[in-house]
Amino acid sequence: MAADSRKVIVHLRATGDAPILKQAKFKIAGTDKFIKVIDFLRRQLHRETLFVYVNSAFSPNPDELVIDLYNNFGFDGKLVVNYACSMAWG
Amino acid sequence: MTSISSSWDGTITSTQFHNAASTFSEIWNNFDLGFPHWSWINFPNKPGFAATKLQGYLSLENMILPITTEEECVLAGTEDLTCSNEDSFDDTAILVQKDSKERHHYDFHVIYSSSFRVPVLYFRAYCSDGEPLAIEDLEKDFPAYTAQELAVSKWTFITREEHPYLNRPWYTLHPCGTSEWMKLLFSNEPSVVNQGGVAIEKYLTSWFSVVSPVFGFKIPLKFSTFMNSGNVATVI
Repeated sequence: MAADSRKVIVHLRATGDAPILKQAKFKIAGTDKFIKVIDFLRRQLHRETLFVYVNSAFSPNPDELVIDLYNNFGFDGKLVVNYACSMAWG
Repeated sequence: MTSISSSWDGTITSTQFHNAASTFSEIWNNFDLGFPHWSWINFPNKPGFAATKLQGYLSLENMILPITTEEECVLAGTEDLTCSNEDSFDDTAILVQKDSKERHHYDFHVIYSSSFRVPVLYFRAYCSDGEPLAIEDLEKDFPAYTAQELAVSKWTFITREEHPYLNRPWYTLHPCGTSEWMKLLFSNEPSVVNQGGVAIEKYLTSWFSVVSPVFGFKIPLKFSTFMNSGNVATVI
């Protein structure tokens, strides 16, 4: 679908003691899964365990499509993704 | 409206848990998401203890996890191996066949931990014939990222513990990090910034958004946006 193939601007925002990225805003295909954003952060920060969440106190399933997250949690033309270096388990 | 202060540490009281559970299950069930319903199980008070309606837990039973397509391919490929020219004495009418394609049933209980002051997920899984599944069987049901997590933190992620009410061994997700990530989840919330508190009715939806992907389960996004849109009528 044409509507789903559009790009989404993702704003990566550090919380807690997580390092801030030099470039915080990225364009990503709406058809990509959220795990692509998580993996990108893992590579950039050299961390295996990250805690990633969007607005509205919600941590999406890695299999969610970015466009669906944008449509539900996007604001001001972008999807804000917060990340912290905490471990969810253990 | 009950709210928690902005210096909140991510934990809740058992009363807040009970209230959050009522709201969460009521809205979940009203949405008719195509999943089993949550229900509050009042646990009979033991003699000698003060009677309180807060004794109990949130329960969702007989959930069948979505099977990934890869698994289905593998299983379809094994079917050829079962062909045999020998006469079979198995009569499907009287014998229960051990079917590898069988879907696994999951029971989830959300129980308040008074030591960690957060909800804790307990679960068990079984085949249709009631045979319980071991952790090795469960791993095959879980998504790849859960299997990875299990390999990295084997003893601090999913372990077997005694179910606090049923006194039987159930699997549980470790609650050590829960208050920390609950605090993080709510750190950017307008309700914290503007009103100086967190609306307690959102707590379990946020909590479940972290817990449910472990099982490859997706909270319908319309459910979580509804919870966050201020539509929640039963504000505590």
